Amino acid sequence: MSTEQETAVSTDQRSSGLFSSVTRWMENLSETQYAYLLLLPVFVILGSIALWPLLKTFEFSLFSDSLVGTSRVGEFVGLKNYVDLWTGQKDAILPGTTTFISFSAPFQSAVIVTLIFTVVSVFFETLIGFAQALILDQDFRGRRWVRVAIIIPWAVPIVIQGMIFFLMFRSGVGFATAPLQDLGLLAPTQPLNDSASALLIIIVADVWKTSAFMALLILAGLQSIDRGLYDVARVAGASKWQQFKLITFPLILPTIAVAMLFRTVAAMRVYGIIDTVSKCEVVPSLSCMVVATFQTRYGTSGAIAFSTAFIIGIFVSVIIYQRAKEGI
Amino acid sequence: MAAETPTGGGETSESQGAFSRWVQSTIQNPQKAYRALFYAAMVFFLVTTLFPFYWLLVLSITPISEIGSTPFGFPPVPRGAFPWNFGAYIEVFQQVPFHLYVLNSFVLAITTTVIVLLIASLAGYVFGRLRFPGRGLLMLGVLAISYFPPAAFLLPLFDAFAGNQIFVPFTDIPLFKPPRLLNTPGSMILPFSALFMPLSIFILTTFYGQIPDGLEDAARVEGTTRLGALFRVIIPLSAPGVATAAVLTFITVYNEYFFSSIMATSNEPSNWSPLVGGILSYQTQFTTSYNLMAAAAVVGVLPVVVLVVIAQERIVSGLTAGALKE
Repeated sequence: MSTEQETAVSTDQRSSGLFSSVTRWMENLSETQYAYLLLLPVFVILGSIALWPLLKTFEFSLFSDSLVGTSRVGEFVGLKNYVDLWTGQKDAILPGTTTFISFSAPFQSAVIVTLIFTVVSVFFETLIGFAQALILDQDFRGRRWVRVAIIIPWAVPIVIQGMIFFLMFRSGVGFATAPLQDLGLLAPTQPLNDSASALLIIIVADVWKTSAFMALLILAGLQSIDRGLYDVARVAGASKWQQFKLITFPLILPTIAVAMLFRTVAAMRVYGIIDTVSKCEVVPSLSCMVVATFQTRYGTSGAIAFSTAFIIGIFVSVIIYQRAKEGI
Repeated sequence: MAAETPTGGGETSESQGAFSRWVQSTIQNPQKAYRALFYAAMVFFLVTTLFPFYWLLVLSITPISEIGSTPFGFPPVPRGAFPWNFGAYIEVFQQVPFHLYVLNSFVLAITTTVIVLLIASLAGYVFGRLRFPGRGLLMLGVLAISYFPPAAFLLPLFDAFAGNQIFVPFTDIPLFKPPRLLNTPGSMILPFSALFMPLSIFILTTFYGQIPDGLEDAARVEGTTRLGALFRVIIPLSAPGVATAAVLTFITVYNEYFFSSIMATSNEPSNWSPLVGGILSYQTQFTTSYNLMAAAAVVGVLPVVVLVVIAQERIVSGLTAGALKE
């Protein structure tokens, strides 16, 4: 019996060669071995394109900049780049009059600009997204088309989003500049070259594009609420406002918190919209500063990049902790 | 309440307009007020989301000679003699080879989508259907990596794609010397694949996990190999999930800015500069051709608009599945 099987195996191997022996080898792996085998491509690509660069960036950040010669970095300086960066001694290297962190000119400071952008845009995206989600949660004719209209800004390429707002607010073309200047909201000349005005315009652009994402997440939360609760409330004589306050809002709050965390992490990477609408010298975000310095100063740029990753990492660990608590 | 009703009734004389009659009936029936509020909010959001596209259209059909003279008022209306000038939509392809940029974007997006779907299918199968030690930890690791900013990966990747020797981090041990990838599709497809893969992994994990075990077992009893069961049973049965992951990956790559603008070192289509380069070359070379910028933006946005209209169900379910655990 066993010899018979062996002969069968050997003829099989001879006839179809490598492929069948690989298949046979895979059939005999344990579930754990098989799982790790199939995950191998993921390990390779995430390891080489994400994990390795992250470690390497940290390594770069521990060396001084190399301004002459062909080597990427100079001598080992430990955490000096970080100390210099956070105490303002690297500000001269940064483009224009921008600083890394400085409270005297907040709209020129990379850390503060990034935080203002994140907090303000996530706040308004949540408000607007919530309102949009409440609308999409209703049943009405043409709901499908309203949903398409609300999603479309999310799908617009960043460079086109930037172009739209550039054309809206560019002095001499844009219709939006003059009335807002009269109200004192934008700088009197060339608002796209004024730090505070340009930041405001960029926040508006981001809110326009990403509220839809917020709306979709919140809508999913709304639709998972047990409709029976509303029937009970109606029978008990609760008004629409009471139903919202006592059922919808408390039940949707965890979803909103998760969605806000997601958006916070994404908003802190802001780069493309700044590059298109304005300039990195005018609205310095953290990613902007990395791009502006990276080709000549690997040490400094590495320190900025890793600081950015660290700040975002704090929020990421909150998300990861929550997921781990829920069991993935 | 009782005191209010007589005064209210007194005012509903025939001379009153339709508006105050509506106000009256609304006070009696709050449901109507909610509905009015609902429609007002809906119209508001429709206008705010669609208005920027209207502005692009207005600008693109107004001849350039009419744009510079005075800024547009509000609401902006197309200028120039009727029928308006659609010449910008032809000129936009003549000034720079805009179609080549869009083609580059399509090639990059489709290639990335295929790679991501293949690798994420394997991972989605593992996470969705197999039980093994380290599963939770690995999923969290994949998730964590997807949140880090591209700026944190830029320096070493740019250095490696420039063809410089790769070392083991924190040592001088050389690993290998990569080929120069800057200005080739590889320098963009690799980072895109890594950064956008986690979303597809999570979407496919959800979908593959929902296929009943019995179907896979039946295929295995019939003599299908393990991989055969994945490709012949699980993936075909999860076609909507695969489509969702494909649509989302395509859109995110088409929309990407960071690596698209950096890894092609100049805005030339021959350097594989995608849509980003095409649009930006109008901003940098033809600094006052606002009608061309608008026309280029309209042309560039059309593919995603069509995709959203066709695949909106998939997009909605994919975005929520990727972000929220049901």
